[in-house]
Amino acid sequence: MHQTVTVPADVSNMSEAELKKLELKIARKYSGMFPWMIVTWGFANMACWLALWPLVMLNIIPLWLGFILATINMALVYLPTHDAQHDIIARPGQKLRWLNELLGHATSWMLVYPFQVLRITHMDHHKHTNDPELDVDIESHAPGPWSAIWATIRGRQPNAKRNRDYVAALARAGREDLLLVTLAYKLGYIAILSALAWNGYALEAFFLWWLPYNIAYSYIIFFLSWAPHHGKSEGRYKDTRGWRSTLGNIGSMGMQYHVVHHLHPYIPLYQTPAAYREMLPILKARGCELGGRD
Amino acid sequence: MQSVAHFIAKILPLLFAFGFLVPLIMQMMLALEITPPFGLSALVFALLVGGSWGLFAQIKGRWI
Repeated sequence: MHQTVTVPADVSNMSEAELKKLELKIARKYSGMFPWMIVTWGFANMACWLALWPLVMLNIIPLWLGFILATINMALVYLPTHDAQHDIIARPGQKLRWLNELLGHATSWMLVYPFQVLRITHMDHHKHTNDPELDVDIESHAPGPWSAIWATIRGRQPNAKRNRDYVAALARAGREDLLLVTLAYKLGYIAILSALAWNGYALEAFFLWWLPYNIAYSYIIFFLSWAPHHGKSEGRYKDTRGWRSTLGNIGSMGMQYHVVHHLHPYIPLYQTPAAYREMLPILKARGCELGGRD
Repeated sequence: MQSVAHFIAKILPLLFAFGFLVPLIMQMMLALEITPPFGLSALVFALLVGGSWGLFAQIKGRWI
């Protein structure tokens, strides 16, 4: 850690400016380091998933085992991309910027989206969190967990609102050119699945990519989008909540502390729990919903 | 170029159905040793089921 920050247990007497300064000081303490874990995670996860194909096709491991591993790989693919979207590995102009971009591109294709599209739409989500008109993730809002899972399925239908929201976000960013790239990714995905299927590998394509992707997509949207923003309104300290997951912190991909990410998106994923604990008196003073995580 | 892209984007459900769903249904039937009804071949049955489902998705804008 870079520095020691002393946070008083009672911050009720602190002024707005003092609170802001202290919060920023903590955020800086937990950011700026090279997040080797997320970089290793991203590339190792991709390598594992790619290795499953020959392992299954050559009957070295059974398809059911490949399916389980592929589902885990797919569930783990988004977070490295997410850190790269936020320039956490390296910001523009920094020496390792290429690695940030490489990690983003190397992982996002498994989710059949161009990295730039994920980045632009996600930045738009941060800018307009919970805005019924402008938040690209608004379709994941649902009254309860089961309806949230259903919303994740609805969100990837051909006529889903999410598709139109993504197009609108790209238009707001002046990047409609990426629509063609997105189409190329979708076509490439169908072409690969089709080529495998018509050459006798339909079950492998289904159980190593299509089904894991769809299960993981629901899992990712549920924990990254629905759970942390459930029941929340708009506003810096109001749009995201702390909460307790029955699957624990690893099982919910660290999203119990997502409130810290929305406040300071440059903090690496694995540092958000520590930053959260240190910011706790400030978060309480700000009136954040912490879901018993205080 | 844009109109071609627009057209392709519109027919993605059909491409998915005939490109992937049809051979998938066929190979699943073979793997599970399911005999198609009415004396149909696995390919014809898969074309009927996969094609209809794709057409449904194409028209309705949803698979389920």
